[in-house]
Amino acid sequence: MTVSLWDQCLDRLEGELNAQQYNTWIRPLQAHKTTEGLRLLAPNQFVRDWINDNFLERIREILADIVGEKVPIRLEIGSQTIVSDDTSAGTSGTTTRNPRHNSTLNPNFTFETFVEGKSNQLGRAAAMQVAENPGKGYNPLLIYGGVGLGKTHLMHAVGNLILEHQPDANVVYLHSERFVAEMVKALQHNTINEFKRFYRSVDALLIDDIQFFAGKERSQEEFFHTFNALMEGEQQVIMTCDRYPKEVDGLEERLKSRFGWGLPVAIEPPELETRVAIMKKKAQLSGIELPDEVAFFIAKRIRSNIRELEGALRRVIANAQFTGKPITLDFAREALRDLLAISDKLVTIENIQKTVAEYYKIRVADLHSKRRTRSITRPRQLAMALCKELTSHSLPEIGDAFGGRDHTTVIHACRKVEELRESDPRTSEDYANLVRILST
Amino acid sequence: MGADSSGQLPLRLQLRDSATFDNFHDEGNELALQALRAGGGDSLYLWGPAGCGKSHLLQAACHAAPGAVYLPLGGIAGAQPAIFDGLEAIPVVAIDDLGLVAGAADWEAALFHLYNRIREAGGRLLLAAEGSPAALGFRLPDLVTRLGWGLVFRLQPLGDAGRRRALQLRARHRGFELPDEVADYLLRRQPRDMNSLFALLERLDEASLAAQRRLTIPFVRGLLQRS
Repeated sequence: MTVSLWDQCLDRLEGELNAQQYNTWIRPLQAHKTTEGLRLLAPNQFVRDWINDNFLERIREILADIVGEKVPIRLEIGSQTIVSDDTSAGTSGTTTRNPRHNSTLNPNFTFETFVEGKSNQLGRAAAMQVAENPGKGYNPLLIYGGVGLGKTHLMHAVGNLILEHQPDANVVYLHSERFVAEMVKALQHNTINEFKRFYRSVDALLIDDIQFFAGKERSQEEFFHTFNALMEGEQQVIMTCDRYPKEVDGLEERLKSRFGWGLPVAIEPPELETRVAIMKKKAQLSGIELPDEVAFFIAKRIRSNIRELEGALRRVIANAQFTGKPITLDFAREALRDLLAISDKLVTIENIQKTVAEYYKIRVADLHSKRRTRSITRPRQLAMALCKELTSHSLPEIGDAFGGRDHTTVIHACRKVEELRESDPRTSEDYANLVRILST
Repeated sequence: MGADSSGQLPLRLQLRDSATFDNFHDEGNELALQALRAGGGDSLYLWGPAGCGKSHLLQAACHAAPGAVYLPLGGIAGAQPAIFDGLEAIPVVAIDDLGLVAGAADWEAALFHLYNRIREAGGRLLLAAEGSPAALGFRLPDLVTRLGWGLVFRLQPLGDAGRRRALQLRARHRGFELPDEVADYLLRRQPRDMNSLFALLERLDEASLAAQRRLTIPFVRGLLQRS
């Protein structure tokens, strides 16, 4: 009953608030019936405070109005497990949303799905060693290198293989930010001992992006002790970092030196052949046969990291799925256009006037002038038509910007240019050139 | 908020048209709309100039997903990075005006961590900005590569014919017809960015209801002259 009560309240609020307010503040609230009344859950303190200051009174009024008496409301921070809406077909390149087992490992990140190349050979070999012999060989294993090169993948691959050999092993993966957040929470709730006990009891601790420990002294201290305890107990530690730890500012010296104890391995950006192999592998995992020429085309244009390769591939696959067309070079070109274009150049009236004047070797002042010689009127008309096509200015504004002309003059110019583009190859070419100059 | 002006609410309530997929004119942007409608995990990034429909699409996606949240970073007074806390518990998180926080280290870190948490939780992150991921000026490379990890769509702005059709679609969803000649009249005389045009359409609709007149050129002309 209360759920429908909240739904009724939502209906009323949706009618009263503008869509943005509703979508920003009201929609994410979760409502739960309690014995006393209604418990509203906001995702964080910021939202809670905002609701409290701006909407709570109104919510009370509406509820009281619907029920006929005051409904006690408790507004808190939190969430209850959501049933994520996963009914839709997967659209992006990856296979499925990560199914989770008991650990936080991503089961898709395995050695089988890791594409080996010169750039990551050493890292892969070391990781394999560690996975076969956790805690006994290289400890800690530190994988470092630039963003989007597969460090996290490799780390998960080790964890997954350890689990395959020892299904009951306690393998914990977490991002260093999560470690910090959990520690802060533990300190707040006086559960720091449980926190310590938990992290010191794992068989393997996989901790990502340790550069985010920089400047967080209390977290470093805690991690230092956890790290030592794990080393002593021959439990495996695997870390990733975006550079060699010695180069991370704000990281304590004693941590830097310890991180170098085991085996630090670097991962380099993949060379072309590896990038192509990665594309083909990822496509295959999505059930798509990627033509070599397309794989090469993308891999040649995206060099820096694998995430961007994946992004481009996803887009190509999405295009193909939505249009039902085969994946060709043109398709790849289209996909890369959206991803790699830097930004739409801001086209202004002034910009257009300047470009057109330069193109026809006349002065901008001529475009503003009353002169009506052919050598001036034609460029002026073209410039007006371009302003209409490439900007959102009103026609009166455009006319005004050409020496205070009327909007009907602009309409006339646009019609004239349209005609000429049909009948006169020269005008059509000039127009196309100008559009290209202005928009690329 | 107008909470106390209940006398006027019913009328306005009927007029308010929230952004949905159905009232989006997708000319030139069919793939982006399809990808958004299709749902699914990972991130989706929309970019393009103001008025090309980014906010509309993000809000429409929220409209279609119960419990979603829409965060326009330019529209929340006093917003702090803490606004991202705990959002991984929400199935669809849409963040608009992303470029506004580029270069702010605390925001960048918060966004990066949110991205990771949402990905881990299996949620969906929708993003919109005026430039492509690499062009926004974010300094945290880890974040930039993540923004380009999912699907990236550049939204195409409409030409005048498309603008007219978009206005007519919007009008139809509001329950009236916008004749071709009136639409063209507006496009010839008014600023032609979609946000201004939609705002104008709303004004015209309200005025025509209030005056009990159909939308004709003389009526519109009179209205525009008065303002």
